[in-house]
Formats: sequence, structure tokens, C-alpha cells
Amino acid sequence: MSKKTVRVSLSALVIVGALSFLMYSSISEGAEYYKYVDEVMAEPAQWEGKRLRVHGYVLGDPLFNPTTLEYRFTIQANGKTVNAMYQGVVPDTFKKDAEVVVKGKLNGDTITVEKDGIMAKCPSRYEADALPAAVR
Amino acid sequence: MATLGTFLILAAFVVAAGAFAAGIAGGRRRSLALTDGAVGLSHVLTGLTLVLSSIIVYAFVVGDYSIKYVNSYSDSAMPLFFKLTSYWGGLDGSLLFWVTLLAIFASVAIHVNRERHRLLIPWVVAVIAATQMFFLFLMVIHNNPFETHLFSTPADGRGLNPLLQNFYMIIHPPMLYLGFVGMTIPFAFGLAALITGQLDDSWLRAVRRWTMTSWLFLSLGLALGGLWAYEELGWGGYWGWDPVENAGLLPWFTATAFLHSVMVQERRGMLKVWNVSLVIMTFFLTIFGTFMTRSGIVQSVHAFGEDRELAWMFTVFMIVILTVSFGLVIWRMPLLRARNELDSWASREAAFLANNWILLFSAFFVLFATMFPTISEALRGERLTVGPPFFDKWMLPIGLMLLLLTGIGPLLAWRKSAMSNMLHQFLWPAILGVVTTGVVMYLGANFWAAGLCFGLCAWVFTTIVQEFWRGSGVRQRATGTDRFTAMIGLFARSRRRYAGYIVHLGIVLIFFGFAGNGFKLEEQINLEPGQEVAIGDYVVKYDALKVTNDAQKQMITGHTTVTKEGAALGGMYPARWFFNGREDEPTTEVAIRRGFADDLYIVLAGYELETQRATFEVTVNPLVNWVWFGFGILGIGTILSLLPERAMAYAAAKSPAGAVTTALLMVFALGAFAPHAHAQHVENPQVVLLVPRSPDEKKARENIICMCGTCGRKRVAECTCGTADVMRQEIAALIAEGKSYDDIVDYYVTKYGSQEVLAAPIDKGFNRLAWFLPYAIGALGILVVGGVAVRWTRRGGDTTAPAAPADTAAHQAREARLDDELRDLD
Repeated sequence: MSKKTVRVSLSALVIVGALSFLMYSSISEGAEYYKYVDEVMAEPAQWEGKRLRVHGYVLGDPLFNPTTLEYRFTIQANGKTVNAMYQGVVPDTFKKDAEVVVKGKLNGDTITVEKDGIMAKCPSRYEADALPAAVR
Repeated sequence: MATLGTFLILAAFVVAAGAFAAGIAGGRRRSLALTDGAVGLSHVLTGLTLVLSSIIVYAFVVGDYSIKYVNSYSDSAMPLFFKLTSYWGGLDGSLLFWVTLLAIFASVAIHVNRERHRLLIPWVVAVIAATQMFFLFLMVIHNNPFETHLFSTPADGRGLNPLLQNFYMIIHPPMLYLGFVGMTIPFAFGLAALITGQLDDSWLRAVRRWTMTSWLFLSLGLALGGLWAYEELGWGGYWGWDPVENAGLLPWFTATAFLHSVMVQERRGMLKVWNVSLVIMTFFLTIFGTFMTRSGIVQSVHAFGEDRELAWMFTVFMIVILTVSFGLVIWRMPLLRARNELDSWASREAAFLANNWILLFSAFFVLFATMFPTISEALRGERLTVGPPFFDKWMLPIGLMLLLLTGIGPLLAWRKSAMSNMLHQFLWPAILGVVTTGVVMYLGANFWAAGLCFGLCAWVFTTIVQEFWRGSGVRQRATGTDRFTAMIGLFARSRRRYAGYIVHLGIVLIFFGFAGNGFKLEEQINLEPGQEVAIGDYVVKYDALKVTNDAQKQMITGHTTVTKEGAALGGMYPARWFFNGREDEPTTEVAIRRGFADDLYIVLAGYELETQRATFEVTVNPLVNWVWFGFGILGIGTILSLLPERAMAYAAAKSPAGAVTTALLMVFALGAFAPHAHAQHVENPQVVLLVPRSPDEKKARENIICMCGTCGRKRVAECTCGTADVMRQEIAALIAEGKSYDDIVDYYVTKYGSQEVLAAPIDKGFNRLAWFLPYAIGALGILVVGGVAVRWTRRGGDTTAPAAPADTAAHQAREARLDDELRDLD
């Protein structure tokens, strides 16, 4: 290997290394833990205040205050439940029994969902397998 | 039908295998017969896939619901148009569509390059056939689109998801597929070059156009996807860093990098390993993107469902691609040595290198962040996700850096730029860039990046204008014509360069649109009828909630009236549609008022029928239309760059001096005299079309056009916007006053000051000319075209006749070869 090759590969290595480190460190502040309700509620204290994405199903009809746009609902997965509080506009598919992922932080037994933090699974985006039972 | 389809898929697989084997054998033995056989088989395969596509389309049109795929993605009530496009509505059909496109592309590419790249052709056929075999294999054992119901045939299909019944969804997937599939051709040529060791720059010339065409389709596909999301999904944005979107973006980055670095290899003989690696990576990423979205490996709200088996098959295929391709690269490393070295960092090749690194890093970053949940689960057993803010944080500076380089790269000289030259090139752009940033910041950009983005847009824009101005100035002095003619001549002479600038101009406009995001206003509010909300310059007043039905759906519509700085703009009607049979999945029908400065975007987010209260999400999206506009310019630039050289040279040589300027002036003049837009066409789903009460009223409605200015001059009887409704009421009132049809026509002609309001000019006197003119022009055009054609053929005959040699077979071969070479020459 010539001297130049060594120099080029060394500097490439340094740049790639630095960028990877930057990415890794910024990920740890930007990342969210992706958990099912039961995983979170098995040990709620551990998740207190951490950025979470909680996956589960809406239990019962969500309570809605039309003047403040506040939603209060419960999501459940594998037998455990957690309350959630949200203010804002929800997706079309958000309703009773919908499969949702909510983004927010846990305070006690309630998840405070951040703005635009409710994602409801699009039931039949493209695939017929995912069609709701009623249509199938 | 279905049995025939299944049989033909098997047959296609056999033919592909045959083409693969014949290609390899032909390449190894250098046998012309075997190569011809492979080429023939690949054309046969194209025929087979076309037949297969016709069968599935036919099944959709006649509604053969015994086929599962047809049953899942269509129903009898769907319009014919959507039945046709249901073809690619699901995975199985998409695979077939993919193979069909690939086969067509392959046939074209092989035919075009058959003489010029004779040595490469057998290997090209083999590589493409291998890819086709993979997709056909998937269809044979896993996703046969012709699979039928075993027991009972359903009476009707399940219908296509309402979200997909949108204009953009018809053209968006095929565009993306064209882009994805097209990248296979450069890959095949790259591998063939590696295998045969024909690693001079000739294979690059064969693939540059292919890559550019595919890149164009990919760009347009991404833009259309964004437009669809913006109009149909109702969250006020067009890009959400969803894995599905990212899958389309990844190969776009590497293809963009390739289109730049290929110039470095052509000019300076450097970056050979890099270029061939980029081609391989681009192809790999198209397959990887498909894998990522189709196999369920990445969890996403939009992912298409989990499929372990499919995931495994894709993984094996991808491992094969990577080992074979990079194995070949390493094997051929000695042949890929660069002819030159980098002379200076202030050179164009260095700028291109930087651009390549950034683009490659973008691809790497997006890939990493998209796969991060999967990676973290594999490494730490814990699923960590990253959201759009994380992408934004990284891609924002990356995008700005690329924009900066867009201005620098093309202006630097190859090898080394002298300091004085750089000052000459960059002084004005830099001044304007800094001034713009300053002004925007002073005017109150709440976000530093937005200000910087505007500044960089100004910077790149100035470099482009300066290039055109200086270039045309030089040519003007040299040829003695006027400025515009010189500019067109400039274009014809070095088309790649100036078309490239137009593409860059498109990029500038796109970024200009992105920068608008920094000034986005958003309001979520619950209103009673009569209440209003102010946002930016707009005031949105909520009037009422109405429920209506048509054959397909129930519509809940929020009626609002919008004023801007006190001036009434008219009604906007955001709605929810509940399609029959899919009542639990209402679609959001966004009301958008488009404008150059900003879009007003209203979503009916929620409502209570009893109380008439409704929740609205109102967004003001500044400059968003510039993004779409920019993509349009980018497309035009790319097409100009792809046009055959001869066409341009001919146009430039034949047009008399001054013709261009005159033509341009005429276009501008026409633009200036074009009727002024009075209002804007806004679809009002509640408009009720009353039956006309007298023949005169009917006649008036059919002969007077809607004056909203944006519905494309629809007749008042047909237009569904608010303006047309008002006009219909006017007509009704006039009829009630006892006015005749002619009186109504007079009334409107006086009101608008011209016959512009009439669907057709009154047939008398001077106006007869208007009736006659189109026919006259048409006839004249036919005469001119015919005459020119006759002259050309005559001239062609004159020159070739004496030169025709006796040995016609060899002559034809040489001609074909010459044709081939000329086609690729630019």
C-alpha cells in the first residue's frame, strides 16, 4: 500500500468513526423505547419519565371533551392496561379496539401523549390480510 | 384464465432460466449463436410477461373474482380506470408488474446496445435474467397473482382501499417502479463490464442515460408520493420519514451520486471503483427497499404486513447480489486503477467527490435510522425507535451542505481553479446569498435554518443565472445574434451542462419550498357554527355541517368561509367520506386553497352531528407549491438533457437568427393577454344541480362557462364550484324576469366585457374566423409536415445513393453499428 492510500483510508476511517459516534450519541437522546403495554406496566417505575412508544389496543370508547379536544382513554395489551391522556386531533382509525402506538412519557399510571403522538394502524393500507374482520 | 396465467408464469420462469444459461454460455465461449439465442429468449420473455399482464388486467376488467388477487383489490362498482390500476394495488400484482417492466427495459436496452457493446450483451442478458428469475420464483412459490379460490367463487370483490382511489395513486406507484426497475439495467451493464474486463469508459456511456431516465422516474415518483400524502392523508405535510418513503429515497441518493461521479470518470478517469460500486449499491438498495417494506422487517404503521418466508427469500437474494458484485469488483481491482490523481481540493472533481460523500452518507444515515429499531432489537434486545425529529435534525444540515455544493461544484474548473477565477465566479453569488440570509433573518425568521436555506437558494440561483448570462454573452459576441438566440444556441452546444443547470434550478426551487416549512402555522380548534378562527392572514369561519350521500359513500362536510385580510375568498369544504362497506375507515377530504405564497389547508378532524360542533385542523403551509414546481423543472431539465443531440443541433442550426426571441416574446404576450383569473375553483360537494325550468335556461347553462378561472372553462351546467352555483342562480333569476337566451348572453357579454364567458364564440361576422382558424391551421400543419418529410427523404436519397456499396450485409451491420454509436454520443 502506498503512503497515499494509508492517508486516505485513515482519514476516511476517522470521518466515518466520528460520524458514527455523533449519530449514536444523538440517537440516545432522540430515541424512544418501543414497548407493549404489558412490558411497561410490569415495572412502571423503571419507565417513569422516559420517552416511550407504547403499543396496544384501545380499551372501550375514548372519552372526548370537544371544547378542549382532550382525549382520555385506556390501552391494553396482554392483560395489562395503562391510561393515556392526549390533546389534539386523532387519526381516523383511532377508536374503540383500534391497534395504536402512542408516543409520550409515563407519569404514574398515565401516559401523557405528545402532540400528534397517536398512530393508529392503518387496517387495510394495501394488504387484504389486514382487512378488518367485518369486511373479510 | 387463471390456469393459463399460472402456466405462463412457469413458462416465463423456464424461459428466463434458458436466457440465463444461454447468456453465460454465450459469454464464456464468445459464441455468437448462443448469444443470439439468449437475446431471443429474453425478447420471448418480454412477450410472455406482456401476455401475463394482459391476462390480469383483463381479469380485473371483466371482474373474474375467482382469482384471489382480483377479488381482494377490486369490486364491480369501481370505475374502469381504478380497475386497471388495481393491477399494482397489492404485492402479487406488483411483482408481475415489476417483471414486465424489467423485461421491456431489458429488451430495449439489449436492442439499442446490441452492436456497440457486443461483448457485454450475453452477460447483460444473464444478469437481467437472473433478476427476473428471482421475481418469477417468488410468484411461482409464494405470491402467485393467479391463485384462485378453491371452493366458492365470491360474487363480488372487496374493493380497493378508498385511500388509494386517488389520481396520484394511479401514477405514483408505476413511476416509482419505473425508477426502481430501470436501475437494474445499469447494474447489469456494470456486472457485465466487470466480468468481461471491458472496464474502459464505454459501459458508462451505455448506462448513463438509463440511470438518468430511471432517476427521473424515481424523482417524479417521490414527488407524486408526497403530493398524494399531502392531499389524501390530511396531516398537513408531505414527507414523514416513513420506512416506505425512505425506501424510495435510498436509491435516489446513490443514483444522484452516480450521475455526478460518472462525469469525473469520463473527464478524468478517476473514481472507477467508486462508480461501479455506486451502480451496484443503487440496484441493491432498490431490492433492499422492496424487502424492507414488504417483509415486515421494519415495524411501521405503513408497512405492508409481516412475511417471514418472503423475508428469507429476499435475504438470500441480497446476499447473492452483494457477494457476487463486490467479489467481482475486488477481482477486477487491478483494472479499475485511476488514470489520474486529485490535483487540488479547489477543483470540480473534488467538489463532486464531496457531493458524493454527502449523498452516500445521507443514504447510509437514512438506512441506519430506518433500520434502527430492528438493529437495536437485534443488538440490545430492546426496540428503540427514532422519529421524524431525529431525521430532520440530521438531514437538515446535510441538505444545506448539498445545496451549498450545488452552487460551488459546476463553477469550479476541472483539475484546479485559480484564486482569481474563483473570485470572478463566486463574488456575486456570495454577496446575494449573504444579503438574502440577512434580509430574511431581519424580517424575522424564527428558525435559523430557514434563513440560511433562503440564502443558499439565492446563492445557487445566482450562480445559475450568471452562468447563463456570461455564456450567452460570449456566444452573442461570437455569433452576432441577440441574447435569447445565443442562449438557445448555448443550450444546443453544451446541452448536458446547461440542462444540468436547469435540474439544479429545480433543486433550488424544491429547497425554497422546504424552507417555507420553517414558517408553518398550525391551529387545532373546536368550533360552533358561526364561530371563526384566525390564522396568519386568514380568517376561517365555520358555517354549518352537512350530511349528503351519493351512490358510493356518505359525506360529512364542514362548510367554511374564508377571508384574507378582510377580502372574501369564498367557501372551503373539508369533509369526511364514509365509503359503503368501509364505514369504519372514513377518508379525510382535505380542503386546500393553493397559492404561490402559501396553501391554506383545512381538515375536518372531528364533529358531533347533534350539536353541530366540529373540530378543524387549519394549517398555513408557506411556499409548499414550489416543491412540486421544482420537481417539474427538474423533470424538464432531465428530459432536455436526455434529448438526442441531433434534434437540438438541428433546431439550433435551422432556426433563423431572432426567431427564438420572437417566439419567446409571443409566448409572453399571450401570457399577458390571457384572461385574468376571477376567483378560484373550489370543489363544493354540496352544490345541488336543479333541473332547468325552461329550454332557454338549459341552453344558457350549456353555452355559458364558469368564470372561476381555474376549472378549465367548464360549462355552468357541469361545474361544481361555488362560482358556477352563483352563476346558475343569476341565470335562474334572469329567466324568472322573462329574459330570453339571447338576453342572457348579452347580459354576460356586457358584464365580462367580452365573449370570453361564452363556451363558443357567437357564430357570425368576424367570429366565423375563430371557427375556421383551427381547421386552417391544422390543414396548413399537415401540408408543412408533409412537405418537409418529402424534402428530407429526397435529400437522404441523394446522399446515400452513390455511396451504397455492393456488399449490403456488411454495410447494414456497419450502419447499425454507426447508428448505435451516434445514439449514445453526447
